[in-house]
Amino acid sequence: MSSPALEASFQVEVGFGSEAFGLQVELTLPKGVLVLYGPSGAGKSLSLTALAGLTPLQAGRVVVAGQVFDDVAGNSRVETRHRQLGYVPQHNALFPFCDVEQNIAFGLPRGARRAGNPGVEELMQEVGVAGLRSAHPASLSGGERQRVALARALAVQPKLLLLDEPFAFIDPRGRKDLREVLRRSLESRGISAVLVTHSRDEALAMGDCVALYERGRTLRCGSPAEILADQD
Amino acid sequence: MDATFPVTLSLQTAVLALALVTPVGLLLAWLQARRSYPLRSVVDALILLPLVLPPSVVGYFLVVLFGRRGLLGQWLDQVLDIRLIFSPAAAVIASALVALPLLVKTAQPAIEAVPLELEHVGSSLGLTSVQVFFRITMPMAWPGIAAALVLAFARAIGEFGATLMFAGNVPGRTNTMPIEIFTAYQAGDDSRAMLYVAVLTVISCLVVFVAARLGPSRAQR
Repeated sequence: MSSPALEASFQVEVGFGSEAFGLQVELTLPKGVLVLYGPSGAGKSLSLTALAGLTPLQAGRVVVAGQVFDDVAGNSRVETRHRQLGYVPQHNALFPFCDVEQNIAFGLPRGARRAGNPGVEELMQEVGVAGLRSAHPASLSGGERQRVALARALAVQPKLLLLDEPFAFIDPRGRKDLREVLRRSLESRGISAVLVTHSRDEALAMGDCVALYERGRTLRCGSPAEILADQD
Repeated sequence: MDATFPVTLSLQTAVLALALVTPVGLLLAWLQARRSYPLRSVVDALILLPLVLPPSVVGYFLVVLFGRRGLLGQWLDQVLDIRLIFSPAAAVIASALVALPLLVKTAQPAIEAVPLELEHVGSSLGLTSVQVFFRITMPMAWPGIAAALVLAFARAIGEFGATLMFAGNVPGRTNTMPIEIFTAYQAGDDSRAMLYVAVLTVISCLVVFVAARLGPSRAQR
């Protein structure tokens, strides 16, 4: 039997003194999409940066597809750049000094970053931005930016995608289209994803599992129907 | 003495000082902008010191450190047969030191203005810290960093007090334009003083113009 896509149980603390914010997280994802659901400020985005290795853990473990990324007790930690995770932040997701094609190819080795790379072409077709190859981020809509950021994350063949509010700032139509693109890309590659949202509809539409957050901790983690049943 | 010598020497000194101070200054600007570490505020104060100390005091410290009987100067003299004091290299070191705070304190906010998320994305794509700096931070902060380099160059080419203390006023060897202005003025040679005043004024005006075009408002876009 293959290893679960994600097993994480950790604590993090950011800030100092009265500004300090602690987070206690338990996440399990056999495969598919895990939605981190809860109100703003509950620690969902912080969980994502902790999984990516961008926020150091105080205690606990993070295991992705059988590989231990963090084990505080065992004093082991894999650096972010070696984790092979596709991270898409909510804001400032694209490099403004690169066009669409350069953004997608950004994480590839130097030789593969040249214009016209067939792999990048394919990704642009897949996410529907082939007609925008020379456009710069400033001229793209919210949905187009998220598609480009998704393609860039997929280009490095990640073990797990980490998406922070990917559907925020997108109109309802664009949101539906992006959900389909995301679903298709994940299924065709067999990749799992962790997705942050505070929208119940998105959690239901995208989640194979949902982790419910409240004030700096996960309350429970399970199927969307079970977790979201009593949430408005 | 050739009238162009102080001009050439000043330009050479400022370019070499900039070459010397740029890697150190950018590293310090990045450290202060992006890292929390013990004694960070002490390092901040030390960076500012050459800006707030009188130039003659900076020069005196350099003599104490690099003079023939200085802490490092003695070692350089005895082990490597290098004597810095009263040499063109001393003028370069003095200029680099006084240019350092201006470079760091102009580049630091430009680096701070680069969204952290973009650097995080770079790390998640497999980039090392050095690659993140050169491929993401540097292009994003470039207008601010360029302004920092231009201002540092201007400070270096105009350096007088520390240079006079450490490099001296050796005609044909360490007499940079600011020193030559002082010497000519003391000697009552106003036309000679005016020549270098004019050259430095033109350079300063150019610097102000370029720095204004590259300034922080553009860096933050």
